Amino acid sequence: MRILTNRIRHNSLFFKMFLITILIIVTISSLITWTTFRMSEKFFIDRFSFNNSKMIDQIKESVGTFQYSIVIASNNLLNNSTIKSFLTGKHSNVQLGSYYYQVKKQMNNIKTSVEAYDVGIMVYGINGISFATERSSWAVSDEELQNHSITKKTLKQPNKLLFHLEQPRNQTKGENVIIATKAFMEPTSKYIYGTMYFTIREKEFRKFYSSYTSLGNDVLVMDPSGTVLSSNRDEYIGNKEEELKDYAIQLEEQQKDYMDADFKGKDHLIMIEYLPTFDLYLVNLIDKKAAFGNIIDKKSIVLICILFIFLAIIIVFFASRKVTNSLSNLVKQIENTPKNDFDHYISVKGTYETRQIGQAFNSMLDELHEYVDELVLIQNQKRNAELAALQQQINPHFLYNTLTSIKFMVQQGGKEEATDTINAFISLLQNTIGNISETITVRQEINNLKSYVLINQKRYGERIRVNYFIDPNCFNSQIPKLILQPFIENAFFHGFNKKSGGTINVLIWEEEATLVCEVLDNGDGMEVSVNNKLPDTKRKQEMFSGIGVRNVHERIQLIYGEAYGVSISSEIGKGTKVRISLPVQKN
Amino acid sequence: MKKLLVLLMMSMLLLAACSSGASNSNESEEGSDSNQITIWAWDPKFNIKAIELAKEAYASVNPDLKINVIENGQRDIVQKLNTSLSSGTSKGLPNIVLIEDYRAKSFLEAYPDMFQPLTGSFKTEDFVPYKVEATSVNGENYGLPFDTGVTGLYVRTDYLAEAGFTIEDLQNIDWKEYIEIGKKVKEATGKRLLTLDPNELGFLRTMIQSAGKWYVKEDGTTPDLANNEAVKRSFEIYKELVDNDLMNFHSDWNQFLATFNGGEVATVSTGNWITPSIKAEASQSGKWAVVPHPSLPGMESVNASNLGGASWYVLNVPGKEKAVDFLTKTFGSNVDLYQKLVTDIGVIGTYIPATKGEAYKTGDEFFGGQAIISDFSKWAEEIPQVNYGMHTYAIEDILIVAMQNYLGGQDLDKVLKDAQQQAEMQIK
Repeated sequence: MRILTNRIRHNSLFFKMFLITILIIVTISSLITWTTFRMSEKFFIDRFSFNNSKMIDQIKESVGTFQYSIVIASNNLLNNSTIKSFLTGKHSNVQLGSYYYQVKKQMNNIKTSVEAYDVGIMVYGINGISFATERSSWAVSDEELQNHSITKKTLKQPNKLLFHLEQPRNQTKGENVIIATKAFMEPTSKYIYGTMYFTIREKEFRKFYSSYTSLGNDVLVMDPSGTVLSSNRDEYIGNKEEELKDYAIQLEEQQKDYMDADFKGKDHLIMIEYLPTFDLYLVNLIDKKAAFGNIIDKKSIVLICILFIFLAIIIVFFASRKVTNSLSNLVKQIENTPKNDFDHYISVKGTYETRQIGQAFNSMLDELHEYVDELVLIQNQKRNAELAALQQQINPHFLYNTLTSIKFMVQQGGKEEATDTINAFISLLQNTIGNISETITVRQEINNLKSYVLINQKRYGERIRVNYFIDPNCFNSQIPKLILQPFIENAFFHGFNKKSGGTINVLIWEEEATLVCEVLDNGDGMEVSVNNKLPDTKRKQEMFSGIGVRNVHERIQLIYGEAYGVSISSEIGKGTKVRISLPVQKN
Repeated sequence: MKKLLVLLMMSMLLLAACSSGASNSNESEEGSDSNQITIWAWDPKFNIKAIELAKEAYASVNPDLKINVIENGQRDIVQKLNTSLSSGTSKGLPNIVLIEDYRAKSFLEAYPDMFQPLTGSFKTEDFVPYKVEATSVNGENYGLPFDTGVTGLYVRTDYLAEAGFTIEDLQNIDWKEYIEIGKKVKEATGKRLLTLDPNELGFLRTMIQSAGKWYVKEDGTTPDLANNEAVKRSFEIYKELVDNDLMNFHSDWNQFLATFNGGEVATVSTGNWITPSIKAEASQSGKWAVVPHPSLPGMESVNASNLGGASWYVLNVPGKEKAVDFLTKTFGSNVDLYQKLVTDIGVIGTYIPATKGEAYKTGDEFFGGQAIISDFSKWAEEIPQVNYGMHTYAIEDILIVAMQNYLGGQDLDKVLKDAQQQAEMQIK
């Protein structure tokens, strides 16, 4: 789990980039696809509406021709005196027989004008007599005809050629018939003497437009009440489509060619053309989904898009992976660099940018190194200078105390004694102040110690004895100046407060490359703190120089490094052992 | 920009087309498939039903043969046959076609090579002779006879009874006697004797065929009107019926049905195929009977005639052997099939052995228990053979005019002479 979160953290740049890229790719592809759909749909709609308005023109023309032939036939019927006399007045049976013959002859002539269409002509007179050229499509008896709604409607508008739809009374047999009717009316007297019916099976009428229709591209012929007279879709025939009627009115008002609208719950492109001579509407319905849905295979386009998106994502994945990998590797390396370890250089690889960053990081480390080294050097020099200054400082108390002791020696007549003391004092001062070099030989240091001890013995008596055990090999070894003096001083002034006297042994020998100096006393001993710190000297005036036991350790480490230094072990009542380790340095 | 759009669209269409899969290729192979035959016929309630029954019967003989029955109007079939045959192509033609007997010769004689002779493939002596004659040309049988249009006189027994007649009085009468009876019936009931369409002379055809005559001579081409005794007598009887107001007129099929279903006329003289229409008026059950067709008076004539009827013809196109096998094993020899045709559809065949079957002997309650099928079959065998020739309908159009002229008062001999002249001019 932690590994995982770590991974995510390390690759967060990659994940962010990758997610954003995916998001953008998906969004853009969807937008483009959607736009393409919209545009192509618009394109097809434009095409369709253009083609279909042409189509409607052609349908209008062919329907117009048909209507014209019916008009011709109706005019011929109106002007035919045989038919007029057939339809008016009473006829004997024999007369009727000959009328049937004559009317048939006339009808055959009249029928030639509608010969091109499968049209049946029927006439029905006010005398209740009828004649039909072809009655099979509309089987209706004379009595039915008289009371038929079509007849009544026709007689109400005797001047007009009306179109009606007659549906079979029972669904199983018979078929839809479109009937054009007109009344027989004398033009001047307005005397109505019958009705003429032109019957055409709806299936035949449909042929005027059915060749233009296709899946989702339907044509309807609708009367002004919204009743569908004919359609290539059987289910619409005879229905009253109020919706379409409203659309027809809207289109007419707005003077538009077509409109987008909802029909039967589906999105349609609707074109409606009014045929004034028919008093009928020619409706072209284009079911967008059915008509365009097939042309544009949305499913496969979307699938292809998804495929491309997928491919793009894979490419993006590997490409951005490669870019961000070098960066995150860099970050990982930088992160792993320990706080104090400036030696940890990072490997420079990857892209140009990351290489540059790596180089910059490494050169920063370099500079840091230099800077720190310099700083350490300066610090050391500074401390050295401080210590050197302290070393040069001879405590004035020591000076006048010593001089006072000598003065007393002189006064008491100890001439020899005073001379020795003064000699020791001179040599001590010579070696500390006069000698400017930092290190001196063990021999010189021992001489100094002897001088110091002599002075102290003169001043405080000889109850503390000092013995020197020096390995002769070590006499020429270099050691820092006044390195042993503070411990002797310490032993003198603090080691024998309870005991009345004792010995201080100074031992110097070599252990391989280490010069070991030990200052042992058999005095009071003391509590040694845990961190091996030396106690402070309280009596400042007793000190010889600025350097105390405390400084020694510090000074050794400053000069020779951590491996060397001062260690103290002490036992109360038994004495103290100070061990100083130094490197062997010979001129 | 526009080009780019089009390009985009094209590529999308291409992709869409690629993914939309294989298109269905289900074109019908016409005739070329050796294991299927096509049949053309009209009238789904009669002929198509009959062929479906034959198909069922044939399934036990050869279940592998696929039989496509295509329904077309008679007019369409005639038109398509004429178009195809006259253009000399056999493509698109069916293997078997139903042709009306009156028209058959016009096809057989005009395109003899296009029809497959059936001589010898079925027993002609098993079929009624007039039908064999109607389907043969120059001694070759081309058609397998199907239904008979054998006529009868459907009479209203209740009207006859009112005038004091029984059906016995109408057996084997001639038209003169018929008119006399008609006058009395009209007197008693006020009903006219029969109804006719003045524009159609089927009535006349039945009369002349009962005397063994036709509009043309035996050669099938020479018009025979002016000196045709049968035609002359038929005209006279027609006029007599009209003059005595025994003839009702109708102008179309609907009116025809309405007239007898409404009880307006006492008799109906036509082919047996009218039986279902007569029976359609269930309230008249038991009031009808069928008597033999009246004969022409004063000349040799029988009490039987024919009106309509069709036969099956095999076209000389690939698959003809299968078609012949199908016809001969069904309509050509299957007695059981004929029983089914009678009971299921009411088709009276012209296959004589079938008349011995049960279905033919069953009495019909509508006709007072009369075994009308049996009677019709009996009469069918008596129908005189005539050569219908090629011009039946052409000559009839001339005669319709002639009849009107005659009814209008012109001299019969002159009328027929004119008609003869006109026919000779038109046909030659």
